[in-house]
Amino acid sequence: MNPRLNLARDNPCRPRHFRPGRAVDATLEGPAKEALEISHTRLLIAGMLFLLAFAVIGGRLIEVAGFKSGDLRAAHAHPAGPAVARADIVDRNGVLLATTLDTSSLFAVPKDVPDKQDAAAQLASVLPGTSADDIYAKLNSDKGFVWLARQISPRQEMAVIQLGIPGLEFQTEGKRVYPKGDLAAHVLGFAGLDNSGLAGIERSFDDSLKNGAAPVQLSIDVRLQYILQSELARQISDFQALGGTGIIMDVRTGEVLALASLPDFDPNDPGAAKPENLFNRATLGIYEVGSLFKIFSTAMALEDGVSTLSSRYDATKPLEVSGYTIHDDDPQNRWLTVPEIFMYSSNIGEARMAADGGTDRQRDFLGRLGLLSQPSFELPEVGSPLLPHPWRPINTMTIGFGHGISVSPLQVASAASAVVNGGILYPATILKRPDGNPAQGQRVLSEATSVDMRKLMRLVVEQGTGKLAGGSGYLIGGKTGTAEKVVDGGYAHHALISSFLGVFPINDPRYLVLALLDEPHIGTRDGGATGGLIAAPLVRRIVERMAPIVGIQPVDENSPEIRRSLMVGLPSPQGRKLASN
Amino acid sequence: MIRLSTILWTLAVMVAGYAMFQVKYEVGLLEDRLTQLNHDIAASREETRVLDAEWSLLSDPQRLDRLNKTFLHLTPVATAQIGSLDQIPFRPGYSVQAPMLAKAGQ
Repeated sequence: MNPRLNLARDNPCRPRHFRPGRAVDATLEGPAKEALEISHTRLLIAGMLFLLAFAVIGGRLIEVAGFKSGDLRAAHAHPAGPAVARADIVDRNGVLLATTLDTSSLFAVPKDVPDKQDAAAQLASVLPGTSADDIYAKLNSDKGFVWLARQISPRQEMAVIQLGIPGLEFQTEGKRVYPKGDLAAHVLGFAGLDNSGLAGIERSFDDSLKNGAAPVQLSIDVRLQYILQSELARQISDFQALGGTGIIMDVRTGEVLALASLPDFDPNDPGAAKPENLFNRATLGIYEVGSLFKIFSTAMALEDGVSTLSSRYDATKPLEVSGYTIHDDDPQNRWLTVPEIFMYSSNIGEARMAADGGTDRQRDFLGRLGLLSQPSFELPEVGSPLLPHPWRPINTMTIGFGHGISVSPLQVASAASAVVNGGILYPATILKRPDGNPAQGQRVLSEATSVDMRKLMRLVVEQGTGKLAGGSGYLIGGKTGTAEKVVDGGYAHHALISSFLGVFPINDPRYLVLALLDEPHIGTRDGGATGGLIAAPLVRRIVERMAPIVGIQPVDENSPEIRRSLMVGLPSPQGRKLASN
Repeated sequence: MIRLSTILWTLAVMVAGYAMFQVKYEVGLLEDRLTQLNHDIAASREETRVLDAEWSLLSDPQRLDRLNKTFLHLTPVATAQIGSLDQIPFRPGYSVQAPMLAKAGQ
């Protein structure tokens, strides 16, 4: 083609400015026009439909991009958050004490089970504790849904699946499991089938446990707990006691390292426990602890300057006060110095010391030690002390040797910790204190009184009522307690509460071990089941077993430096003579 | 002109469409993987819980004590069995370097 010739432009047959008229102007009549109009309408409708579809898609796009994106991102950010299972409870070293496991519960849809007789027989063979008749009865019911077995083990679940019976289904449920059985059962408490805490830590920390957050870490040490629990159980069975309780406490922090109350229960099956087994003797039980209270009476007399270590009191004969007679269990029948009163556990001497101090001082001092009010503690089961009303002078005297006032073993442990640790009262706690976060304590007595009390408590073990706690090499100091049980308003002569409160090493106190037995018996000598005889050797055994675990080295108890540091001036035989004259 | 832009737009639409589907499939695959991983995590967590519980059950001091009484007959360490290194005399003629002695003294 000739490049210079453009037909469109240079067509000589077409005038330059000619425009053809519009085609539609060509008049169409009849069927042709009709067809054209129909196709027009159809095009319009189709166009509208497409427009609508695009509008919907566009709108949805804007919605998703602009408004929903936050939700979508959130849904992807934490998709594997822990299923809200009840949180664990662990001991101070992270040992698992309570956890929640998924267990399966078996249910059946009866109408889908073809051979009910056969199914029942097969199920009974793989599910222990069920009978074929029971299962058959359930399968024959009209209900659309029957439970056959709740919370079965994975092995049982596998066995049921392998039976291949139609109409059986599993439902996953969280089950609270306590792998250590009855160890620290009273501390842990238990949770019900619906996973709500019903006692102990499970109850007091129910909310935070339910939130499934971090585990609750207790101050309990499982190893010490086992030592305490097993030794206590052994002593209870050896002396046919009704029960007993024990506490191991860190005197520098107030942390409870072990807390036992026997008889106890298995939190995995609390329904099987008798009510008295659920009772926490250590925190909820209150007792007249008898001579253990002399720790506080003596500390009070020394602290207030009412007495000194060389003060003497008349213990020549029983004391008659407003119709009551106060006896000594081991009468010395002479004047006694304060250390002698403490080591022989003289009721007469303590009563006189308490009377010297007076009611107001006593109430103030015991109040400061937290013995007169319900202690704050993390367990829901906490007992209130039982106090005399009115608080007459005779009450002051009997409280001096621990009668006429009932407190919980937990209170005694806390207060005694303050007496020996240099005079700082730390509130008792069952939760581990974070390392490097020392407890906030309150000074309740002077350092000097505390040092004197350590010496007196060592004296009890070396020469006094607590000799059976001695000789371990761990320098135990302590105080015995033997109290007659209060029964129907009077004292039962052959029902004793025998206790020993030991602290070691007494020259630099670290740990307190309190053991208390309810109605121990010694063969024929029923009245002789004293704290010194029953509880002191128990505490010694506990200390001997726990000391290597907590890293306390044994020492030579007879080395000169140790004897000197714990020496208390006792009157020489001549001095005694002088005193009794 | 019109043809050029039409071609360009068509190309762009094709590329965009391809890319979009590509991304969509990748997202789908990733989501499948995420679901799988989450499932695995949940399963592993549950397994860990079970193993923790089992370990706690097996290391129960009461059980260990029972096993010990059956098989090992170990007794608690007596005070007389505990001593410090400086109580042990060294073999005659055996010399020990200073750091070891310092350690032993602790």
